[in-house]
Amino acid sequence: MLRQWWQRRRLLEQSWQQQRYIALDCETSGLDPAQDKLLALAWVELRPPLMDFSTTAYHVFATADTDLKQSPVVHGLVQRDFIAHSDPVTALQQLQAVLEGAVLVCHHVQLDWQFLRRAAERHQVKLQPLALIDTLQLEARRLRNQQHHLPRGSLTLARCRQRYNLPDYAAHHALSDAIACGELFLAQAYRFAGRANVAVREFVTK
Amino acid sequence: MQPDFAELKRFLQDCPPFDELDAEQLANVSRQMLGFYLNQHTIDQLFAQHSPALYIVRSGAFDLLAPDGHVIERLEQHDLFGYPSLLSGRAVINKLQLVEDGIVYIVPATVFNQLRQQQQEFERYFIRAHGQRLLEEQGGRAVGRPQSSWQAAADSSLQRTVAEVLQRQPVMLPSHTSIRAAAERMRDERVSSVMIVDHDAVKEPAPYTLVGILTDRDLRNRVVAQGLSSELQVNAVMTQAPAAVYGRQSLMDVLAVMTQHNIHHVPVLDDNEQPLGMITNTDLMRQQRSEPVMLISAMNKAGDLAELVAQATEIPAYMQSFAARVSDTPMVGRLLATLTDAMTKRLIHFYEREHGVAPAAYGWLAFGSQGREDQTLSSDQDNGLLLNDGLNEAQLAWFAGLGEYVCDGLHQCGIPLCPGNIMASNADCRRTLSGWLERFSQWTREPTPKALMYCQIFFDSRLVHGHKRLYQQYRQQVAELGQQDFFLANLARLQVSVQVPLGLFNRFRGTESGKDSDFINIKRYGIALINDIVRTYALQAGISAPQTLQRIELLKGSRLLNRRDGQALQEAWLFLTELRLQHQLQVWGTEQPKNALDPDSLGTLTRRQLKSAFRIIKECQQGIGLKFGRVG
Repeated sequence: MLRQWWQRRRLLEQSWQQQRYIALDCETSGLDPAQDKLLALAWVELRPPLMDFSTTAYHVFATADTDLKQSPVVHGLVQRDFIAHSDPVTALQQLQAVLEGAVLVCHHVQLDWQFLRRAAERHQVKLQPLALIDTLQLEARRLRNQQHHLPRGSLTLARCRQRYNLPDYAAHHALSDAIACGELFLAQAYRFAGRANVAVREFVTK
Repeated sequence: MQPDFAELKRFLQDCPPFDELDAEQLANVSRQMLGFYLNQHTIDQLFAQHSPALYIVRSGAFDLLAPDGHVIERLEQHDLFGYPSLLSGRAVINKLQLVEDGIVYIVPATVFNQLRQQQQEFERYFIRAHGQRLLEEQGGRAVGRPQSSWQAAADSSLQRTVAEVLQRQPVMLPSHTSIRAAAERMRDERVSSVMIVDHDAVKEPAPYTLVGILTDRDLRNRVVAQGLSSELQVNAVMTQAPAAVYGRQSLMDVLAVMTQHNIHHVPVLDDNEQPLGMITNTDLMRQQRSEPVMLISAMNKAGDLAELVAQATEIPAYMQSFAARVSDTPMVGRLLATLTDAMTKRLIHFYEREHGVAPAAYGWLAFGSQGREDQTLSSDQDNGLLLNDGLNEAQLAWFAGLGEYVCDGLHQCGIPLCPGNIMASNADCRRTLSGWLERFSQWTREPTPKALMYCQIFFDSRLVHGHKRLYQQYRQQVAELGQQDFFLANLARLQVSVQVPLGLFNRFRGTESGKDSDFINIKRYGIALINDIVRTYALQAGISAPQTLQRIELLKGSRLLNRRDGQALQEAWLFLTELRLQHQLQVWGTEQPKNALDPDSLGTLTRRQLKSAFRIIKECQQGIGLKFGRVG
């Protein structure tokens, strides 16, 4: 136990460019992890400056009609998308494997992480990423440091990407959002710590 | 569950030649690609750690530099690079320079090679691109023109060579043959014309020299009607030194020659000047669907102005359908020029019928686009008269009337009047040889901007009708005036000062004003610029052909313009002409600009080609600036 802790700590001291990351996005039926369901999950692996599309995974989970609530408006998932669905246990075990020794990166990571943890607990899978990074928080931190006022809506994934001249993607598809988030992280990380030998720790969400 | 790479696939579909791949192939490529975040810290890793591979720019902008540091290409969204090393197996020697951070997709060599094997079009695209022939090979498909087999058959008829359609061996007679013997031979061979040749066995393997042609009509008009003896030799009544074509020339060339000389029989020679046969306008018409021939012959038959105008109103509709199926774009410009020539000649004929034949030798000259034979449906008139010296008031009045009548007639036939008044109806454009020379030498001596603008129009001339020798004198002496270094330097400086519409980051820069400010005028900043650059070279070389493509062809043999630049200019000119034609077909009948277009409305491939074309022009501008600009 102690050894594992020590090893994780050591990895976090490494330069961020040596690290492996999993950029991930969840589609959910709502914003409450206690009540709402995880509908879809997608991730892609990053090894700066690369994003390897052969490592992408995309899972849609079986749900009852009622679980969809109003969210189809948001994520565009309708009942027929669930016909070919993944088994949640297999999907979560796959995620568990790739998260081993990797840092989880999401836009607004707390929300995704809570959904993931609940799902993992329910299916008795243990997700142990090295650390969590939130691209939304990184952006907020950067803008505040520059004394920017932050109007509502200025921290959406799309708006953040625009500030780095990243291309526009059709939002709210788990896979494009995961890729979009991964690219945003690369852009942010190189902007702040391109040359300097900065440790992953500096980016980690506290 | 298989991830669906909708976003990546959509993007790849906008990157030719990936648009050739089917959905499954696209998904397959997407799954095996890598995204690379390219910025100042990672830029050196791309080639060092990930080559060979095909790279696709997703966002950002980068310069591709040759080992000596000069910029080969500005790369931005949708651009591909890295394939020369993939295809040749040589290591990457070029370098990248950052302009703007962004994402580059890496397609590994194994995936690239798989696609090449699976998809012929994909393979072909890279082979062509590797040979830097992207522009030349664009054909009709790139601009999105549908082409059925029927259309392909129809458009090829005027593109076929004369040799291909010749029906029979030549019928030849020596010039001392008697008229009767010639007539008997024509009867036996069932032909309406014979070639008259001199034979000299010493000149073997090229013993024949074409000296004349004798037709049915000659027998009627020059022999029977004149009451001549049929025992005379044919050389007394034949047409001497007839116009001829070469077997390798196209039927369009034949059509042009027939119209130009108003003849129906044209001898065909091989490259050693040896007779191959005779081509007649019936042969041309037999090339089914060769409507241009019909149109021209209908014009030639028009009995008066009203009938001619009625024929001419058919032209726009006809050109619409002709242009939409011809794959050889320059032919459209030539055909329009040929039609305009035919109208002009008919109008001159009407005028002479009314006011008596010309009181002196003269030449009707076509300038500008009609002269260069790259006319479009919206081109306006540019013409003038070359007169003999020493005309009296009455004779001058006859020519003034001719200019007035023909220009007005052309206007009625749908060819707009020239806003700059470069027309034979203007006394300033009716000059004697010395009058024109005076005008030209004034322009070349004092090259004000206006004078230079005139030169760009007047230096492209062609004789439409009239006295050949008079025109040749004019042509030659004008060419001499155009060879002065001081004048050429000024022309070159003017051409260099025109800014090609490529801006920062190699993006298109709008050239227009008002609501169309994003539009690009591809005539003024493209086709006309190439015409101008090529004219400058042609003037220095003393080339008198007015057609841009022909000038380039002739310049290829000279030291002035190297072969590669000539080829590139030719390709750029063809591409832009094709693009303009497609555009004009689209906007015909609307209020939209005829020569300016919105680059955002073009497909990725066409945009890429348009940028290449402008880059070529830019390079040639620099070339001309270096070669001519320093003098004076």
